[in-house]
Amino acid sequence: MSSFGFGLMTAAVLAIATVGFTMQFAVTNVLNLAYGSVMINSAFVGYFFNARGMNAWVTLVFGMVTGAVASWALNRFVFTPFQRRNLAPITVVIVALGVDLVGTFGLQAIVGGGYVSFRIAPGQEYHILGMFLSGMQLIILAICAVVLVMIHWLLRYTRLGKAMRATSANPNLARNSGVKTQMVISTTWLISGALCGLAGTIFAMNTGVFEATSAQLYIVMLLAAMFLGGPGEPYGAMFGALTIGLATEISAAYISPQYKEVVAFLVLLGMLTFRPYGIFGSEKTN
Amino acid sequence: MSVELSQSGQVLTATGLSAGYDGRPIVQDVNIEATPGKVISIVGPNGSGKSTLLKSLVGVVPVLGGSVRVGDKDITNMTPEKVAALGVGYVPQIDDVFPPLTVKENLEIGGYLLARRDVATRIEAVLEFFPRLKVMLTRKAGKLSGGERKMLAMGRVLMLSPSVLVLDEPTANLAPIVATQLLEEYIRGFADHGSTVLLVEQRAKAALRISDWTCVLGGGRVVLEGAPRDLEQDPVFVESFLGGGAARHQAP
Ligand SMILES: Nc1ncnc2c1ncn2[C@@H]1O[C@H](COP(=O)(O)OP(=O)(O)O)[C@@H](O)[C@H]1O
Ligand SMILES: [Mg+2]
Repeated sequence: MSSFGFGLMTAAVLAIATVGFTMQFAVTNVLNLAYGSVMINSAFVGYFFNARGMNAWVTLVFGMVTGAVASWALNRFVFTPFQRRNLAPITVVIVALGVDLVGTFGLQAIVGGGYVSFRIAPGQEYHILGMFLSGMQLIILAICAVVLVMIHWLLRYTRLGKAMRATSANPNLARNSGVKTQMVISTTWLISGALCGLAGTIFAMNTGVFEATSAQLYIVMLLAAMFLGGPGEPYGAMFGALTIGLATEISAAYISPQYKEVVAFLVLLGMLTFRPYGIFGSEKTN
Repeated sequence: MSVELSQSGQVLTATGLSAGYDGRPIVQDVNIEATPGKVISIVGPNGSGKSTLLKSLVGVVPVLGGSVRVGDKDITNMTPEKVAALGVGYVPQIDDVFPPLTVKENLEIGGYLLARRDVATRIEAVLEFFPRLKVMLTRKAGKLSGGERKMLAMGRVLMLSPSVLVLDEPTANLAPIVATQLLEEYIRGFADHGSTVLLVEQRAKAALRISDWTCVLGGGRVVLEGAPRDLEQDPVFVESFLGGGAARHQAP
């Protein structure tokens, strides 16, 4: 049953990460394979302040700001210029992969190769529904739940959220309706980047010890969760993350923790083969 | 029309207009003037550049030469969002709604430029006009029938009370009876109400019936134009578009 608790934690962090990832893909058409490196860089910014005495929960704000600014800048100065040149979509994917390597190993060059960890009190141990969860883990779960509800509220009920969904569904028609799609896209990078930074920082807290390359294989989990729920579907992303989170941790308990990403990768392959539009997504014509 | 749907029109003028993709002109040297209270229609075979022409008017396709004006404003190569803000409502031939958004959300996006407090009353007004949409406000646009979907596409554009309506084959894929209603009741109605209507229409006969002036596009140029009653007498027009004899069975 403890693997279920681990799975829940993994799933919660993955849900935040995947929602940001899938929003970038849906609204801006960029499959941002550099997402993992932005996550870990954000985590290290949070850690930087934490190591200098700042409360770990407060450093989440710095992680989010780092993710938001870095993602916005990536789009503004790297992805958009490449998209403007009307190259094949694969070009931007390859560029993102390059950015990921530069981001990860650039960070490693700065912080070195050693493992670090957040200074954070694990708190009291709670026994809930057969799972053992620390106070820290409960706070992380609560943060994830609140953030997901906020994203739901943003997309469903706000003018900006509806403009984001409209831009995702039909950018030309959105512009014909008066939506400044460039502005919507920039804002999407800020918001999804903040999610990326938040996910990175709580990922690092949750993992315990981490280093510059700790999020390198995270992209496999992201892709698996995204394709499971249907690319570009934020609600599907939440479902996909829950499934992948539980599946990988339970398999880690029964097989070996080393195969986590392999399990995620198998799910990804299965989805791409049989239902590339996700469990909930429908075959779209446009 | 019981509710104020569209504003009385402005003149939309294209002068010596060339437009196309990747710098290669598809539409060449087109002159069109659409005036308030009138339906100006454009007919022509598939691929003759009708959609490209309309897209270049509303900023979706780049203008390569000539100019476009609305009222006294030059809108040549203006961004689509600015063209919309100037009161030009455009309903594209395809991809005319946001499929994953509900009917209500589609209308809300249509009213994106309105003051927040005006959106709800405006939706009410549009629903008075298309009452069939009332019972499907929470349905996703992608799940509507062809006719309902077109009504939604028109409703979206009416949210901003446009003074100029630019409609690309609104009756395509509609059942004949729905198509006739759309053209004769609604679209003719906009013009009678004082709006400017520029309409691309495949059904030449139906287009003539509601138009004040019709242009025939061929190979990206206006090859023939005139008042409907004159075109109806023109042997070339009759032969190509109204199904005179053998032409009926050939692709127009
Ligand atoms: N996005 C595009 N890129 C390049 N060429 C296009 C594009 N859309 C249409 N065309 C070409 O422009 C020509 C006119 O198309 P279109 O304006 O859609 O004609 P119509 O609406 O009269 O059927 C066609 O030859 C078509 O192949
Ligand atoms: Mg067309």
